[in-house]
Order: sequence, then structure tokens, then C-alpha cells
Amino acid sequence: MLWILPALVLIVGLILYPVAYAIWLSFFDKHSFFPAERWVGLGNYARIAGDAEFWDSLWKGVVYAAATTGLQLVLGVAAALVLHQAFRGRTAIRALVLFPYMIPTIVAVIVWRWLLNETYGVVDDLLLRFRLVREPIVWLGVDHMMTSLIAVSVWQFTPFVVVSVLARLQTIPLELYEAARVDGASAWARFRHITLPQLRAVLFVVVLLRSIWMFTKFDTVWLWGEGAGAGREIRTLPIYAYMRTFTYYQAGFGAALAVIMFLMLMAATLVYFRLFWGEEEAA
Amino acid sequence: MIRSRALAAALPGFALVLSVTVLADAADKKVIRLWQTETEPQTLAVLNQTAAEYEKTHPDVSIKIEGLAWGDLEKKLTAALAAGAPPDATHGQPITCVSFAAKGLLRPVDDLADSIPKDNLVDAFRNLCRWDGRTYGVGHSPASSVFVYRKDLLEQKGLKVPRTWGELVQVADALREVKDGQVVRWGLTMTGQPLFINIAVGELLKTNGGRLFDAEGRPTLTERPVIELLDFYKQLNRVLPPGWTGHGYLDTFANLANGKAAMLYQAYGRGVGYIEKYAPKEIADPDHFAVADKMVGPSGKTPAAQLDCEPWMVFKDAKGGNEAVDFLRFFFRDENYIPYLHSVPIHLLPIKKSTYRNPRYADNATIRKWRSWVDMQGKYFRNDWIKPVLVTDWDDMTKPYLLEVMGSGILVDMVLDSVKGMPSAEAAARAQKRVEELLASSGYLKK
Repeated sequence: MLWILPALVLIVGLILYPVAYAIWLSFFDKHSFFPAERWVGLGNYARIAGDAEFWDSLWKGVVYAAATTGLQLVLGVAAALVLHQAFRGRTAIRALVLFPYMIPTIVAVIVWRWLLNETYGVVDDLLLRFRLVREPIVWLGVDHMMTSLIAVSVWQFTPFVVVSVLARLQTIPLELYEAARVDGASAWARFRHITLPQLRAVLFVVVLLRSIWMFTKFDTVWLWGEGAGAGREIRTLPIYAYMRTFTYYQAGFGAALAVIMFLMLMAATLVYFRLFWGEEEAA
Repeated sequence: MIRSRALAAALPGFALVLSVTVLADAADKKVIRLWQTETEPQTLAVLNQTAAEYEKTHPDVSIKIEGLAWGDLEKKLTAALAAGAPPDATHGQPITCVSFAAKGLLRPVDDLADSIPKDNLVDAFRNLCRWDGRTYGVGHSPASSVFVYRKDLLEQKGLKVPRTWGELVQVADALREVKDGQVVRWGLTMTGQPLFINIAVGELLKTNGGRLFDAEGRPTLTERPVIELLDFYKQLNRVLPPGWTGHGYLDTFANLANGKAAMLYQAYGRGVGYIEKYAPKEIADPDHFAVADKMVGPSGKTPAAQLDCEPWMVFKDAKGGNEAVDFLRFFFRDENYIPYLHSVPIHLLPIKKSTYRNPRYADNATIRKWRSWVDMQGKYFRNDWIKPVLVTDWDDMTKPYLLEVMGSGILVDMVLDSVKGMPSAEAAARAQKRVEELLASSGYLKK
């Protein structure tokens, strides 16, 4: 038993304790840095239920997570299929595709904010030069803040899907495709009846991880909206929890928001597992 | 061969001894951490030089100065406080200083204030951060926000400098230039950065004879001056670049210096550096980039501007509080203070009257060239037309919750709701309710 003690200490110290402390804190009216706290029971949760800002940020978070996960999945699988084909320069392109995932978030955000600036950015300049738009698109303004954030997030995180799917594609026995070809199966039929079922397990994990990570994504969203009034258009739940804790100084309320996020993700994960394993058993 | 082998074998030993010596030396010294908001490289160089000079006569002390972006300071301070690891001394907004003092987090710095001494402080800045009769902050250097316009462009179009909100919108509209269907120059530029929207709300409200809180501390966002302010934002939104809500503070300087905009409402003396660096050489002067009084709102009488003057504050639990104060006394000595002011000459103005009179201070080419910018700020100081962020009356400095109001972003949301088309009265009522809820839940206001 002794040999699992270090791992146990790490799990308790780094996972269970912070979660338990956040839950405990959520029952208090606690100032963020002032040693003053008052037991309020479920008071913070009751306030959250009636808080329009919470519902708004929850909706924005769901839109952001769903859109980015969906797009990453479609583009990631498509890119992996292309990169699985044999062509000249494939190795170099595979390395290049990983690039967005390797650069630090702050660098990606600064570069993209610069490229998308409607006054001097390259993107609008090109769109105007090629007469694809009549007016510059205000990517960082209130109307397109969410769209541009989704685009940049998809650019940044799709390589994760590409790598995961590509790794699995390389382990699918070629005999399956050859047999299907002999039977006269079209490319679409081979994709639908061989590739997709073989990718099922990896896609399950990818969707689970990416949706959790996008729903709780803080750094990209914060940096994209920070420093701009239009940032409130992308005020997702993690951002709102941070604001309540560190700019409203309401640590208890912020902890309650974090607990709600945790419970939502737990519930969604359980439902997802049940659906997946239910289908597996049926199959 | 043998010698080089012996040398190679000895090197790690030397390195180890050296590291241990350096570490032991560092361990003997008391480290004083200071956070401050002047991040320009030349200013940091001067501050580090001052720290090095101080350490020469105080070998037991090590001064570590860290520059933090102005817009991030409050968040970083809060996070550091929450983690129980604040610096020994820091800059902060005056309202931050009051908020922290009210919560008992600060050490009084009457000793620092008295060393200047009080009658040597520029009158407008004597009471920047006082709580319960004690001084908790001493401003490092005051500056006023200024309105900047391209004098040459206004003259070319036969336009007069705007004096009122309405005239500002008209002139901005007239200054917009379109070529091949594209706007090549906007009449006006403003930042949409939350901190600066907070600043603008306080400042514009003051020019409109309004206030954010009544004498009892209750928010007054549904009053007429606020509604007029939101209506004004709707008009501004028509003449500002369409992406202004996403433009940072420095973007607006870039817009002005590069000729992308003809007027900048929320400029600061720091902008001179950008103009000199990025504007065409032949126009990088105050004859082209001129300053004027800020515009007055329909219900107001006098111009108003924001006071940019972060007080130095020292944390009560700081282990090096006394040493930090001693270093700051050293910092305020003219031989150290003047090079600091000269590092951004039109933005960092003296807080001491004696420094203004010091010929060494006036002996600066940038100050001589941009004298009109300095004088404009002096005019605001003399007339008491300047107030810190969200302060429309000096009595507001007794309200310890302005920091929370600023951090919540409620006023920014109010402005953006209005700009996005919500009726001004509705946006104001929504913000009023949210501020009331914030103050009630924080225990500052009875429901």
C-alpha cells in the first residue's frame, strides 16, 4: 500500500482538496483578500439562480464551447484524413499543422489581434484589396468579438484533434480498405463504414476532452477580451467566476460559480458516457 | 592537456562556490519589492538606477522594482493579496488606496508625506488618499488627461475647436475623410478599454454637472446627467471608428500619430512620445498636435479631466515597510526625482512645488517644446478640474467601494448597452440596479 502513497498525496493535495475547499467556500460570503467571512448556506447559489449575468455568461460559454468543439472536430478529422494520404512534403506539412498548438497562447492572441485590427490589420486589408468586402469587418468590436474568438480558438486547438485522429488512422489495418475496394465500396462508403467506426473510440475521447477544455477555457478568452469593452461579448462562465472573485472581491460567490461549472461538467460527462456505452452495448 | 583537465574539473567547483557566495549574499539582504505602473524602458532604467544608488548606502537592502501595466494593476494586486504575497509598496489608483486603507491593509505613510513636506505638495494632491485622518498614499507624479486635436486639419477645414459635446460630434463628423469609399481618417478616436470607459464616465459626468453617488452613498445612475451622458455615447458611436470598443489605449495614440484620426479625447502627456516616434517629422510638434480644454456637457459648466496620479502605498503587513518608505523618501529627492520625471517629461509632472521651481527640472528640451501640453495640465490642476477615476467630487474619496464598482465593469456594460442601441434610461436603470445589488451584497448599502 505504501507505494501508492505519493500518488494518493498528490491526488488529495492537488485535486480533492481544492475542489472540497471551493465547495466549502461557496457556502460563505467571503471577501477575496480581507479576512472576513459569513456563513450563508445556499445563499450564493440562490443569488446565482436570479443573476442575469450568470445566465448570460452560461449561454455565451455554451455557444463558445459547442461552436469551437464542433468546428475543431470537423476540421481536425478532415485535416487528418488529408495528412494520412501519401503526398510529397507530407512530413513537413504534418509538422506545420502542429504549429498553432505549440505557440504560447499570449503570442497567438497578440498576433491575431494585430492581424484582425480593422484599422491596420492585414486580414481586413486583404479582404478590401480583393474586394471581398466593402467595409472593413470589425472583428474585435461588439458584433464580431465572439466570431473572431471562435475562429482563433479553432485555429489554435484543432491540431490536437488532427494528431489524435491521425495517430488512430495509422493503426487501421489496410486490409479492411482493400477488401472494401474489392467489394466495390465507394470512397464515401469506405469512410462511413470503416474509418468512422474505427475512429469512434478516439473521437469519443477527443469530444469529451475538447468540450470540457473549451467550456472551462480561460486564457484565450480572457486575453482576447481583456483590454476591450467589447470583451463582455465573450464573458463566458470562467471569466465571470474570475471577475466575481477578483474584481468584485466576492470569493464565496466566485467559488459557487466554479462549483456550478464543475457540477455541470460532471453531469454532462455522465450523460455522455451513458450515451456512448449504451450505443456500444447496443452495437 | 593535464592542465586543461584540471581546469575542467575545477570549474564546477568554482561555479558552486560562486553560486553559494551569491546566494548567501542575497540571503543576508532584506528584499524590498515595489510594484509600479511606469513601464517604459527608460523609466524602469532610471528607477533601477535609483535603487542601485540607494543600495550603495544601504548594503543590507535589495530593492526590486517591477513595472506592471496600468490596466492590470488592480487585478494583480488583488490576486497577490488573496495569495497572501503582496509587495512591500505599490502604486494604485487613489480609489484603490482608499479601499485598501478602509480595509486595514495599509500602513500609514504620514512619515513619507511629512518628509516632502505637505506645503511643498501641489495643492490639488494633498489629500489623494486619506482615511480616518491619516495619510495612506503619496502620489508619485500627477498628470491630467488632455484633449488633443490636429490643429492643421481643423484650420484646413475652417473648423473651430469644439467647446461642447454637441460641437465635438459635429467637428468629428466634419473631419472624417473618405477616399474611394473607404474612411482614411476618422474625426475622433477613443479607447474602449474598460478602465478608460470607467475614467471617461467619471470625467464626462463631471463635465455634465453630474455625479455617480449621492451624499448617502447611493448610486445616482438614473439622474438626468447620466442619461445625457449615455445619449452622448450614442452620438459618439456614430463618429468613432466602428471598432472603437475593441481599441486599446495605445491604439488610439497610434491612430492619432499615424494620421488615422484627427482628434483624441482621452490623451495623456505620454502620447507625445508616440507622436515624436510615429508621426511624420515635419508635423510632430504642438503646432500640429495641439491641446484644448475638454468639452462641456449640456448640463455642465466647466471642463473636467481625469487625474492620473497613483499614490505610493505601503502594505501594513509588509516586512520591509519602513525600508520601503525610506527608499521612497530617497526617490523623491530632486537628484533622483527629476531624472524620473524626465524619462516621460510631458506625462510625469512634479508633485512637489519645489521641483517645479528647480531650474534643472525646466532644463529639458521636450518640456520646452511641448510647453503648451504641460501648461494645459497645470491649468486643470490650478482650477481643480481634475479628479481620480470615478470621483466627481472630492467627498467621493470617502467612499471605500469605488474600487469594487470599477472592477465590476457595470459602468462599462451600461455604456456598451447604450451604444448597442438600448434606450439610455433602460441601460442606466439596469446599471443602477446592479450597482445597488453589488453594494448591498458587499455590505456597503442597506437594501
